[in-house]
Amino acid sequence: MRLSRLASGLAAVAVAGALGIGSANADYPTQSITLVVPFGAGGTNDIIGRILAEPLGERLGQSIVIDNRPGAGGRVGTLHASQQAPDGYTLTMSSSGTNAIGKLVHPDIDYEPLEDFTYIGLIAETPYVLAVRDDSEFESLDQLIETAEERPGELNFGTAGVGSATHLAAELFLDLAEVDMVHIPYDGSGPASAALLGGEVDFIFSSFPGVISHVQSGEARLLGVGTLERVPQVPDVPTMDEQGLEGYEATLWISIAGPAGIPDEIVEKLYAEITDIVENDEDTRNRFVENGAAPLTSERPEDVIDLVQQTMDRWGPIVERTVD
Amino acid sequence: MELFDNIAFGFSVALTPTTLLYCFIGVTFGTFIGVLPGIGPLATIGLLLPITFHLSPIEGIVMLAGIYYGALYGGSTTAILLNLPGTAASVVVALDGHPMAKAGRPGPPLVMTTLVSFVAACFAIVIIAAFAPPLARFALRFGSPEYFSLMIMGLLGAAALVHGSLLKGLAMVVLGLLLGMIGLDLTTGIERFTFGSVHLADGLSFVVVIIGLFGLAEVLNNLAMGSARPNVAQRIGWRELIPNREDLKTSVMPTVRGSALGSALGVLPGAGAAIASFAAYAVEKRVSKHPERFGKGAMEGVTAPEAANNAAAQCSFIPTLSIGIPGDAVMALMLGAMMIHGLVPGPGIIENHPDFFWGLVASFWIGNLLLLILNLPLVGIWVRMLRTPYHLLYPTILTFIAIGVYSLHRSTFDVLLVTGLGVAGYLFIRLRAEAAPLLLGLVLGPLLEQNLRRSMLLSRGDPMIFVERPISLAFLLLGALIILVVATPAIKGWWADRFGRAARVGGPTSGPG
Repeated sequence: MRLSRLASGLAAVAVAGALGIGSANADYPTQSITLVVPFGAGGTNDIIGRILAEPLGERLGQSIVIDNRPGAGGRVGTLHASQQAPDGYTLTMSSSGTNAIGKLVHPDIDYEPLEDFTYIGLIAETPYVLAVRDDSEFESLDQLIETAEERPGELNFGTAGVGSATHLAAELFLDLAEVDMVHIPYDGSGPASAALLGGEVDFIFSSFPGVISHVQSGEARLLGVGTLERVPQVPDVPTMDEQGLEGYEATLWISIAGPAGIPDEIVEKLYAEITDIVENDEDTRNRFVENGAAPLTSERPEDVIDLVQQTMDRWGPIVERTVD
Repeated sequence: MELFDNIAFGFSVALTPTTLLYCFIGVTFGTFIGVLPGIGPLATIGLLLPITFHLSPIEGIVMLAGIYYGALYGGSTTAILLNLPGTAASVVVALDGHPMAKAGRPGPPLVMTTLVSFVAACFAIVIIAAFAPPLARFALRFGSPEYFSLMIMGLLGAAALVHGSLLKGLAMVVLGLLLGMIGLDLTTGIERFTFGSVHLADGLSFVVVIIGLFGLAEVLNNLAMGSARPNVAQRIGWRELIPNREDLKTSVMPTVRGSALGSALGVLPGAGAAIASFAAYAVEKRVSKHPERFGKGAMEGVTAPEAANNAAAQCSFIPTLSIGIPGDAVMALMLGAMMIHGLVPGPGIIENHPDFFWGLVASFWIGNLLLLILNLPLVGIWVRMLRTPYHLLYPTILTFIAIGVYSLHRSTFDVLLVTGLGVAGYLFIRLRAEAAPLLLGLVLGPLLEQNLRRSMLLSRGDPMIFVERPISLAFLLLGALIILVVATPAIKGWWADRFGRAARVGGPTSGPG
């Protein structure tokens, strides 16, 4: 009597458990999701993540909790995310900086961009830009390059530090324009902007959100943007590619990813919702633009991995040449 | 006249019930965050940032700002009572504040720091209201050479922090400089002394070092002393709680000097606020008629740094608001918060959003007043807490330290680090080596190095750049002056020793007497 009760009890539990496993994926998500942001609150990645998290949480029926884990230029948070369980309940903001360039510049970091992550979908892109002070003598990129050719090694430019994406964008510029200028590294984009406004350097390379407030207030001007297409926030500024530096592309792309091994159904579901929001939700799109980013999506989740590879291929040679 | 109009306008904005409420929430949170070790304004503002999305811009920023300067009020509380500075800026207050508490007078420094903070805030607010845009523009003229020279002057002033053996103090400064080298070097892109650990890539966390070297070391030292530990548990009557006339009198000029210095340094993005309290302490010791009192409980050593602290905190809003350049990580968060609300900081902010700017300035004053009202009665509670038997108190302290440090980066590495630093700090205490100069070296080292190398890059290797630029030259001359002033008594003494004796005896000495 007792044994059969026990047996039927166990059977019921086993059936429920099996049903549970099967339904876990179909019912995803059944609890709140953590979105790791490997940067401090208030920065570009953080703001974009928060803007997306609102509608995404509503659609999935669960809240999305932002987990800021700044440090080492995004590597601390990215490493942490790659080590979590691939159950779809931990996602991370992965960008060209953390998942491509970061590995190139710091090869001994304990994660492999191509193996340790499940990429879900692109959400935004923002260019690296060349900015001058408002009263600078340089009215156009051509003029800047001409002056640099006449006076090699005399002009100074600032970036957010050696090995930073802004530095690499600057090196690419020096390559394609074939000019010689001196790099003055600063401790992040804030001090670099301060140096620009204070007149310590002739121009800086910066992420677009890093200078957007100075451009809007009229203290700085952009001579070129690093995307292949003009940027909606400053439609009058030509791209580097347009102005003769063919093939110049230096952008920060942002995507959502998770640790390697997330089940396909979950990836598909997330991809569908995220892409739909980024492509069709006017409110989200507007808020992206206000904060200096352009909404961008990928056609399939797998495209992001291709992008990671492309980014690493494009910047690999420059990193080798300029960073020890 | 226009200034009064603007300020009145600001008050009309800031005194609305909701804004007032958020100001109160902000400063209250800030005070308690400041008391807890580890978790500081940066983490708290980051956590509460999303809440501000649903508030109006003025409400949100007022609350965040309240957390920021409120934390300074709380930070000095534990610095004085337990030698456990709650915020990085409160370290210097512990140097003279804690000895006073140990000597049985915990009340006066607590009360004085609160009063002085309020006065300093008033001073700074006037500066902000009247001079924000021109000050910000002046701050922009500080380039890498100027920062370098300022740091050099700061390092030379480090001699003032040393109470015991000068040689040991200098050794600690050098140790601090060396520790400051840990991390990513932005001039070459190379990681130094990180042993491959991603947790060290940003260098030693300043807060962790303070908690370890000061707070944890103090606990270890107290435990090691056992029954030899000085007993603070006697009945503390009302008299001992409030400062006496002497305290108030000796605090007037230090407050003025501290406020002025703090305001000046707070305006400089990046470097300023960090060294404001150190600088104020050094100045006080320099101008004091009895410098030997410092380190044992001199009130000036508590009030001047606290004034400098608070003034610097308020004035660090100037570069953030007026030119959109954040002075440190907390200001960067504020900037982000403003941007999210569509407020573009910069020269135009006063014209385009006068309600926001003046409302914020007025809220600083209201917030500091609230803090004054909030903190004064708390002094009694804090002092009573000190009377808890130590065997109950120290586990609580340790728990708070562990939780606080872990909460910084959700990293167990930090907890291990603080433990190691605590042991090191205890060894330093036993060796009679002081931790404050080490801290100064830790703060100044990276700044010194970066600015030196950038200046060299800019001048293409010509060291004359530091002398050719007027502001930089001024700092270097001041530094030389400091050396002269410090060295003069020593040289005089040596001179008198060598030649004075011979002159008095009237010829080469030949035997004793």
